Amino acid sequence: MNPMDVIVTYWPRLIDGALMTIRLTLLGAFIAALVSPWLALVRVNTATFIQAPIRVYVSFMRGTPLLAQLFLIFYGSGQFRPELEQWGLWDFFRDPFNCAVLAFALNSTAYQTEILRGGILGVPRGEIEAARAVGMTPIQVLRRVVAPHAYRIAWPALGNEVILLMKASALASIVTVFDLMGRTRQVFSRTFDFSVYLWAALIYLCITATFVLLWRFAERRLSPHLSAADSTAAARLAELEARP
Amino acid sequence: MTTTDCVLEAIEIRKTFGPFEVLKGVSLEARNHDVISILGSSGSGKSTFLRCLNFLETPTSGSVSLHGQEVEVRNGKPANPRQIEALRRRLGMVFQQFNLWTHRTVLENVMEGPVHVKKEPKAEAREKAEAFLQRVGLAGKTNAYPSQLSGGQQQRVAIARALAMEPDVILFDEPTSALDPELVDEVLKVMQSLAAEGRTMIVVTHEMGFARQVSSETVFLHEGRIVEQGPPDEMFSHPKTEVFERFIAKVK
Repeated sequence: MNPMDVIVTYWPRLIDGALMTIRLTLLGAFIAALVSPWLALVRVNTATFIQAPIRVYVSFMRGTPLLAQLFLIFYGSGQFRPELEQWGLWDFFRDPFNCAVLAFALNSTAYQTEILRGGILGVPRGEIEAARAVGMTPIQVLRRVVAPHAYRIAWPALGNEVILLMKASALASIVTVFDLMGRTRQVFSRTFDFSVYLWAALIYLCITATFVLLWRFAERRLSPHLSAADSTAAARLAELEARP
Repeated sequence: MTTTDCVLEAIEIRKTFGPFEVLKGVSLEARNHDVISILGSSGSGKSTFLRCLNFLETPTSGSVSLHGQEVEVRNGKPANPRQIEALRRRLGMVFQQFNLWTHRTVLENVMEGPVHVKKEPKAEAREKAEAFLQRVGLAGKTNAYPSQLSGGQQQRVAIARALAMEPDVILFDEPTSALDPELVDEVLKVMQSLAAEGRTMIVVTHEMGFARQVSSETVFLHEGRIVEQGPPDEMFSHPKTEVFERFIAKVK
């Protein structure tokens, strides 16, 4: 069996699946990115009893399998169909795509919250003080000093989280979403040609590789001050080495 | 030249951290063109006192007023945050560790306050920022990032940043303590020229030369209290207390 046959015949399905994978991942990660900064701020700045619900939420989401969370939302919502219909939410929950996005968003929110919390804690205290000393309001301190530093610190870990989510999104195929994994399984059940899984792996790899490149590019754009320091250090080093 | 109007006045500032009373009622008055040096060994409360003046630390009790406007403190907290922000706008601050915003260029650091706090038009703020940077001898470094500068240069940017707000008083918190010895002078020279310009300054410092030659008044803090206060020449040549005498002997 020639591995080219399956790709020549079925590439439109696989590409369609890949696009679905990208949509699932980006939508889930994006919703989480909108919510998590606020949770992270609450985690850093407020009294223990206010944080308690967030801590419970984060431990639950990080401590249970994503697949279980997905089942809970997809099959669990079926149990409450009458109530959901009453509230007009059934149309949302009957669609496996929506359930998958919701599960991914909830899960990623927990991880992104923790990542951003670390970023916020890493902001140099002195720079916050300088901002307050110049007369900035708390919102200005947040926007002008805390956020740029926190995101710069959290950036690599956030990228990692999106990549993990992208791969985990293959779970959506189990609740009948035709993402890349779902399409691959479909093609395999027709052809019994296992090489379709290799093609799928290759496509996953291409998606992550592209994403990593884009993320690094953004990282450099975010931190001209760090590359400037690098080049200064490199120049000094070269100067030292050039000495007899 | 001898205006006596009081710019900044602190009355009976007390500050406790847990069981420790760091400041036990410190009062200070700064008039226009005063350069006040605050001396004291480590742990005497001198930095805490300075930080109480712009409420980076909230005094446990006591009051701070600027041009007679008192900042209200209720239950150990500023009654109105807007009032604190307004006060800080009028008080420049230079830190021991410079505390420049490392993600912004030198020029952006100096423009930040005028543009975002005082809402000055950008072009005007840029022009002024460039002038202030020239004033501290860093006209050529506008587009550098703080990490590319030496400690002395960073501290001079920090001084330009404070000047850009056109403050009534500039507070210096041990501005040369974090510097390599050969970089101390460039910062002291800038500070000296500011004093000569007639700027009102309150300086927490270990630089006895600066305190003696530049300041109009010296204050010696010991265990949270002012034990000596007066014109520097008189204080240094005729110490009234044993602790200050020992302090002078040690730092010489």
